[in-house]
Amino acid sequence: MTVSGNPGETVTSTCPTCGFHGIIRFEGAPQKTRPIIRIEQLTKTFGRFTAVDHVTLTIYGGEIFGLLGPNGSGKTTTIKMLCGLQRPTSGSASILGTPIHTKAVMQQIGYMPQEIALYFDNTVHENLAFFAGIYGLTKERFIEQEERLLQFVNLERWRDALVSTLSGGMRHRLSLACALLHEPQVVFLDEPTVGVDPELRVRFWEFFNSLSQHGVTVVITTHYMDEADRCTRVGLLRQGVLIAEGNPQDLKNKMGTSSLEEAYLRLAGRQTI
Amino acid sequence: MTVRRTLAFTKRSLLQFRHDRRTFAFIIVMPLLMILIFGYTFGGDVKGIKVALINQDEGIQPIAVPGNPFPQGLFLAQNITASLDTTTLSLQASTDPVSARKQVDDGTLWAAIIFPENFSENFLSGLSHPESVARPHIEVYLDGSNPTIAGTVLRTVSQAIQETMKTFASKLNLSQTNASLAVDPVYAYGGGNTRFIDYFAPGVISFAIMMVTTMITIILFVNERRTGTLQRLLASPAKEHEIVIGYSLAFATIGLLQSVVVLTAALLIFNVSIVGNIFLALLVVMLIALGHQGLGILLSAGARNELQAIQFVPLILFPSILLAGLFWPIESIPSYLQPLCYVIPLRYGIDAERSIMLRGWGLGQVWIDIVVLIAFAMLTIGGSVLLLKRKK
Repeated sequence: MTVSGNPGETVTSTCPTCGFHGIIRFEGAPQKTRPIIRIEQLTKTFGRFTAVDHVTLTIYGGEIFGLLGPNGSGKTTTIKMLCGLQRPTSGSASILGTPIHTKAVMQQIGYMPQEIALYFDNTVHENLAFFAGIYGLTKERFIEQEERLLQFVNLERWRDALVSTLSGGMRHRLSLACALLHEPQVVFLDEPTVGVDPELRVRFWEFFNSLSQHGVTVVITTHYMDEADRCTRVGLLRQGVLIAEGNPQDLKNKMGTSSLEEAYLRLAGRQTI
Repeated sequence: MTVRRTLAFTKRSLLQFRHDRRTFAFIIVMPLLMILIFGYTFGGDVKGIKVALINQDEGIQPIAVPGNPFPQGLFLAQNITASLDTTTLSLQASTDPVSARKQVDDGTLWAAIIFPENFSENFLSGLSHPESVARPHIEVYLDGSNPTIAGTVLRTVSQAIQETMKTFASKLNLSQTNASLAVDPVYAYGGGNTRFIDYFAPGVISFAIMMVTTMITIILFVNERRTGTLQRLLASPAKEHEIVIGYSLAFATIGLLQSVVVLTAALLIFNVSIVGNIFLALLVVMLIALGHQGLGILLSAGARNELQAIQFVPLILFPSILLAGLFWPIESIPSYLQPLCYVIPLRYGIDAERSIMLRGWGLGQVWIDIVVLIAFAMLTIGGSVLLLKRKK
């Protein structure tokens, strides 16, 4: 990063690595401790099945927060509730001080679903232009953002190609670009690296780190434990219950294990006894 | 609601059809094909119906009697026969009514037209004694298995009778001729020249728009759900009604495009007569598109994939073809089925288009149809907005 400043200072600039444009806060800034997402006793039941069970959690600004757990542990349901896609059965949550399920919140968040949620019969540009319209970007801002994001996800040459003609990895990259078009302060990424080749996964993580450095809060679900190690903090979910949360290293130390996977299994085991 | 967001949906879907040439072709070619196929197969009237003609009428020889309107004699059957339209009917003169009837029974002929021996005489006596029992009659022995052909034969015969009576009008009292022989139909619209294609064109426009809009909407929304784009939209600042209205505008545009194509084809190829206000006709087209777009979204909730969506086709297609008055009037449908016709929204669209295009009716006369279409559109569009909200 070529922009420099004192801790706590803010500067409006564009980051050369990730293309993030906006207010940049420098290391040590107090926003790191500012609560961005507050989740209180969040619960979702489907009939007799409890998908998310009284989860209480606070996620802070600029964190990369990883929601971990096996399939069916409630990661996606939690994210869907936070994005306003599913109504909680009970409990509440707020993002940036605004209750979830309001359109005001939705303008502030970016969401990348598990599926490649793109229009296959439209071009790369048309997909981006569509989401720009949805998020109310001005024409000038869209032109800037499109150029920047396409450069970042390395799709400049494919701007006018139909999405149906792109490879799987390209589609993943475009899907991410669509979620970041309006420069949201909070980004929810539901298993963004499933089915992504190792090389691209590395690039994705570089990008997530860059976003985090710029004060963007990134919430990721994953079941790759090596990815979880890269998160600022993780929340371990088991059968809808949040069984532990904290820094990956702290969790490992506390459980006396060398990997997060073992830590998870130990915690899960203790839970069942 | 912001215009920009709403138009983002419209623009994206229209661009999609531009890239997807097959679907675009379906939108344009389907209605065109319908009007061409039906126009050429049903459009022309039936020609060359094989009919036997048996003239046994002895006529009245010329007699110089004072007051006789026919001093030159009267050979009424000959006069009528001469007026028969020989393009429609292919006449075969015959003398034996029994064998002619048998040929009809065998299916070699469609009909036998038989003038009895005392045809002219009975006609003349009927003029002076209207209450007389021996009325002149023409026997038309018909194969009724094809109603269109049977109807055409009868119509041709009565046309010939009218023609003949017209030539006698100067010699005879018109009311007497009416009483004794011919029926004189009075046409309110179309002057009796309305062809099937004229009747069919407004219907095909309504039908094509209904089909295309409903089908494409179902598939579009099934896809939105399946690919996850709908989820993304519902997690965005886009409001549910903006999504629905945005797509509505796209389908209204497509509906207009289709109408222009079908109308141009109907005018250029079939010379269809349109007497009414074309803008009112296009308004009805848009209402049909809106209502069925809403229906498509609602139905899409009942389909998990394209395969299931396709299963809705016969469900929508058959009631519309059979019950909405596309080919035949609702009055010709069994009375116990008729109430069903009136719950099919397309019926009101077809009815309005026909009244506007063929009768030249204005808003004052088709308002009931329009109100029903607006109500249908509000119901389905409102319903689909609620559906999208509920899906959370």
